Amino acid sequence: MRFLLNPPLTPNTLTRFSGVFLMWLVSLTHAHAATPSEIIASAIVEQSASKQCDLVISLKGNPASEVVILLEKWKAGEIFLHQDPEGNQTPVYLTGNASSDGTLAISRVSSGAPLIGPDGNPVRLDPSAEEFVDTNSSLRRAMKEVSDLAAFANPDFKKRLRAIEDSAIGQNPEKIPNLEALRSTEKEPLALRAIDQTIAIINLKSNDPKVRTEACKKLGELNSIAAMDPLRTLVTQSAKSGDRITEKAATGAMTRIESHISTINIFGTLFRGLSLGSVLLVVAIGLAITFGLMGIINMAHGEFIAIGAYTTYLMQHFLGAGLDLSPFGKSLSLPGLHLASAGNLYFVFALPASFLVAALFGILLEWSVIRFLYRRPLESLLATWGISMVLQQLLRLIFGSNNVQVTSPNWLSGNWTINDVLFGWNRVFVIAFAAIIILMTWLVLNKTSLGLMIRAAMQNRNMAACMGIRTERVNTMTFAFGCGLAGLAGAFLSQIGNVGPSLGQNYIVDAFMTVVVGGVGNLMGTVISALGIGLADQSLQQILRNPVIGKIVVLACIILFLQWRPAGLFVARSRSLD
Amino acid sequence: MNTSPFSARIHTGILAVSGFIILVVFPTLNAMGIIEDFTLNLWGKYLCYGILAVSIDLLWGYTGLLCLGQALFFSLGGYMMGMHLMLMIGKLGQYKSALPDFMVFLGHSTLPTFWVPFQSFPFAFLMIFLIPGLIALIFGYLAFRSRIKGVYFSILTQALTYGASLMFFRNDMLMGGNNGFTDFRTLLGANLRIASTQRLLYISTAILLIIVVMLCKWLTHSRFGLVQRAIRDSENRVLFSGYSTANFKLFIFVVSAVIAALAGALYVPQVGIINPSEMTPEKSLEAVVWVALGGRGTLVGPVLGAISVNALKSWATREFPDLWLLFLGTSFVLVVMFMPKGMIGLPSQIQALAKRMKRKSSDP
Repeated sequence: MRFLLNPPLTPNTLTRFSGVFLMWLVSLTHAHAATPSEIIASAIVEQSASKQCDLVISLKGNPASEVVILLEKWKAGEIFLHQDPEGNQTPVYLTGNASSDGTLAISRVSSGAPLIGPDGNPVRLDPSAEEFVDTNSSLRRAMKEVSDLAAFANPDFKKRLRAIEDSAIGQNPEKIPNLEALRSTEKEPLALRAIDQTIAIINLKSNDPKVRTEACKKLGELNSIAAMDPLRTLVTQSAKSGDRITEKAATGAMTRIESHISTINIFGTLFRGLSLGSVLLVVAIGLAITFGLMGIINMAHGEFIAIGAYTTYLMQHFLGAGLDLSPFGKSLSLPGLHLASAGNLYFVFALPASFLVAALFGILLEWSVIRFLYRRPLESLLATWGISMVLQQLLRLIFGSNNVQVTSPNWLSGNWTINDVLFGWNRVFVIAFAAIIILMTWLVLNKTSLGLMIRAAMQNRNMAACMGIRTERVNTMTFAFGCGLAGLAGAFLSQIGNVGPSLGQNYIVDAFMTVVVGGVGNLMGTVISALGIGLADQSLQQILRNPVIGKIVVLACIILFLQWRPAGLFVARSRSLD
Repeated sequence: MNTSPFSARIHTGILAVSGFIILVVFPTLNAMGIIEDFTLNLWGKYLCYGILAVSIDLLWGYTGLLCLGQALFFSLGGYMMGMHLMLMIGKLGQYKSALPDFMVFLGHSTLPTFWVPFQSFPFAFLMIFLIPGLIALIFGYLAFRSRIKGVYFSILTQALTYGASLMFFRNDMLMGGNNGFTDFRTLLGANLRIASTQRLLYISTAILLIIVVMLCKWLTHSRFGLVQRAIRDSENRVLFSGYSTANFKLFIFVVSAVIAALAGALYVPQVGIINPSEMTPEKSLEAVVWVALGGRGTLVGPVLGAISVNALKSWATREFPDLWLLFLGTSFVLVVMFMPKGMIGLPSQIQALAKRMKRKSSDP
């Protein structure tokens, strides 16, 4: 606050300040004359800190939207003082984009009009060279009061709710009248509940024991999780002061809320378990086909997942602004389509693309390596591990070894809160996605002629060949189908985690375990085992309060489970020995 | 493989000569200053890998069990040795405390009970056998009893290693977390940081390797080895002939786990560090690659594979860091597909090919 610290007391500044003061007086007497912006402008140049606060407070309850905007700018240090053509220090803020020399155009705080220099051109300012107008803590408190009340009037329901909940902080009884006023106009039931809760929390600090017990009762009825901390404080305080009645009421409310929290936790765990199970399912379903049906141990399955994820990444940039890659040290520039809605749209295109790309690689792999190893499963394991090494390194050489950024579409980043249980849209999406994939796989395998041929060839290759099925082609198609599903899994994983060359490695062990537990050759087994492992994992995490131990216990349980059912949940019945 | 007595004699001769070179010539040259300390140390590491490879081959090449958990036993042996070495640092560590540095860092003031006996070398030595052997016994008993075999066995052992590595990555396991153990100073009173100690370690590794190869040779040529190979080729027939295959497999599984653990125990003082990344499934697979490249079902092949792949790796990761993995992966795929007997089997494969060519050209 340079101009406050060393005020240059020239006659000019003196007259200027008296002018401002007069302006303020005028604005007090003729309130209609001063717009909110003008009041803020005069507050900025005001010398006395207490008058500054008064000016800001006078805006309380003012419905004009610019009040909050300008106060925010002031608080964030985006307001500067500049000489206007008349030689007065005028508060201004920056507008427009920075030009090449880092300067921006400026507008007057009082009117929003651009500031014109003596030469008739708009004045430009370099914000890094100027000192912004500072604020002190009492002023910021005043600003907060104004913007809090303004937030109550915010047309956006979520912001309003947030403002109501925030006003419980500090348990300041002065806020109750505002909340009561809001209750009479508020229509949303959730906001009404939040108002009740906030008032009750504030009332916990009341001096009247009756009000306190009443508030405790109310909070217990509301199952208010936010009230847990204030209630806990109240219990210790009243225990200290020997206030048995309040203590009892608060403890009762806490017990009630705690039981509510544990119910929420159970549902939350179930939901997270279900979504983790769905992730496992999506990752393992491709393996259930290549390993379960065909008996190929595809250790490169993880890399097919990564291929799908990178296809999604490419698709995002292809629809967007293009991408510069440097594979093998050479530079390669991918043109982009610059679609406006690319951010939300690309995923729809990425799904089929990742399936197709991964399937294509699958065909290549089957044709060049796998077909020689159908009778040697252990060796298919080794060869595909070599392939996975190569693919991983290729991905690293093409896309770099760092993780790449895949942005989720907006429609994946929200959540629903039903009765305090949080349902993230991406988790809901996982479950729906898994269900659709399972349904489609089941349809392909059981309702199409390709599926019939696949099942025939997998049950008995020779017999199927004798019946005129071209088993070699069926093998290729089946393997490609499995790899395509891995690609889909990759497109999907890109939405919930990092995309890097070793993306698939993190899932491969889990995926194999899922298929082994489910029993080979049975989709239903894979579904049940994926959901079972997911639920077990999440509940163990919740019970043991440690994700790693939970995971190890799950692995141990799987080993013990296989003691009981060595061939997994569903056994394909066969009279052959091996 | 080599059925004629003549080639068998050559075989033994080559073995004896290479054993002599590894055990006597290398250390002598090093003592004379012709081979650098660094190179000898590197070879000590290769020989440890060679022992690990033999242990895998014993399971995979001779019994048909592809175990992807061998890195677990290897590093468990290393950890047992590491615990003793950590306690031997004494007060010379960073924090000048009798406790290992990482424990001080985690805020411990007393040595956890399970660490205390490791102050004695004989106990640590015993544990190198016992812990991996016991884990192999329990896991093997469970796995073989329920007749888990083939790829299922591989996947389960992979999961076992994976789970163990997750466990060792944790700090509250009190095994050093993801940094593991390092900064070793003395073993049995000898300073680990001078060349003569390292030379002794190298010689012990070479001796262990020779003993292990000879032991395996004896084992695989006994009646036991016959049953073992019969299990590999057709387990059901062996089972129907009245042999309890599960017990045979369990025995060989435990033996191979102990061999791997011994290799790990010698590896740690030579490399100077052990951490959980040594026991990830990828490490096991890497060792399987050595065996496959060298030639499984033989005893020299795995050692040859381990040494040559690692020597190549030391060179190539320096010269072509980007292309090395591409090369290794591709050659591995090719070997699996076209050279089932690995490098060792290459001469006979070429011979067979030449014979076929000759027959073809003489037939018409």
